[in-house]
Amino acid sequence: MGVEVALDKNMKILIVDDFSTMRRIIKNLLRDLGFTNTVEADDGTTALPILQGGTIDFLVTDWNMPGMTGIELLRAVRADEKLKTTPVLMVTAEAKRDQIIAAAQAGVNGYVVKPFTAVALKEKIEKIFERIDAAK
Amino acid sequence: MSNKLGSGFVEFEQLVKDGAVELLNHIEVGDFSGAIQKIQELSEARHSSFYNEVGLLTRSLHDAIRDFQVDSIDLVVGEGGADTSKITDASDRLNYVIETTSAAANKTMDMVDSSVPVASELQTQARGLRKDWSRLIQRDLTPQEFRDLYKRIDLFLGYADESATTLHSNLNTILLEQGYQDLTGQVIARVNDLIRDVEVKLVHLVAVAGRVDSISGIEHKESEFEHDDTRGHGPAINKQSNPEVLGSQDEVDDLLSSLGF
Repeated sequence: MGVEVALDKNMKILIVDDFSTMRRIIKNLLRDLGFTNTVEADDGTTALPILQGGTIDFLVTDWNMPGMTGIELLRAVRADEKLKTTPVLMVTAEAKRDQIIAAAQAGVNGYVVKPFTAVALKEKIEKIFERIDAAK
Repeated sequence: MSNKLGSGFVEFEQLVKDGAVELLNHIEVGDFSGAIQKIQELSEARHSSFYNEVGLLTRSLHDAIRDFQVDSIDLVVGEGGADTSKITDASDRLNYVIETTSAAANKTMDMVDSSVPVASELQTQARGLRKDWSRLIQRDLTPQEFRDLYKRIDLFLGYADESATTLHSNLNTILLEQGYQDLTGQVIARVNDLIRDVEVKLVHLVAVAGRVDSISGIEHKESEFEHDDTRGHGPAINKQSNPEVLGSQDEVDDLLSSLGF
């Protein structure tokens, strides 16, 4: 199972997806992993003010959404002095090589393609915080 | 491109060829008034041929447009009435698919949400009993603890029975909810038929419009197809046939690690 990371189970996670079903799936999977402190938004436009509220520790976002897309949200987060260190995990059906490269260049911390498994989600989250801990 | 045009146009081309020879003959013998008359005739022939062709095209265009409205596969539902276009109706049907799949997904998740605590409680009780049960086997229980265990086992058996009933019923509900696949599958298949039908009609319409362009000499700039990754593309359907699309999480991970992730 690799290195067990001491994850802060109380961290506040923002889930951004335009489909309520997908938000619910992610929320339930996170709950199974012990993360119960979650909030939701249905696209980048509604997510950004929540992020700017300053209490979000981790952002999980879809790519393809009406209004502001996930990649635009990621760029907005990285461009914001107060938010730029927020870890961002992309969970999306977008799987074009160029898009993944674009997300990496924009500073994404992890990329999970839909449909995904609970194991994949867990691994990526652990990996993200492993790296953040290692960088401290 | 004359093969794409009507027979009137072919006749006109022959007329121009013949007329040109006659025109030359008139000029060679110095009959300028005859030559001018020939030019006049050719010009009139050009006009009438052009108008005939435009008339034909207008009719074809009209037919192609009418086909769109009349001959498309009948998808109009009872309450829709004559005002509902087939495209609007197809769009309503696809909305129905979104609603139905969303309702089924939510109902399924409701059932999972109500089952998980039941399974957890069964597990907790069973683990507690098992611990005391092994103490009983090792004759490690006081008489009071034994009486207590006796009661707890009775309670647990009752709870296990009830829980099994609840889980059974939740699983059945989940099973039945999968019926959405049949319903939405039928709707999607019909919308698919409409799209194919519209495509055939559109190809016809484009062919007719192309003829209009070719006799009137209009040229269109090819509009550039936008490759905008920012807006996203949605799930890739033919992953195998598109080398630009990665087929699995493993491939995504490999790409990211090659980028230093």
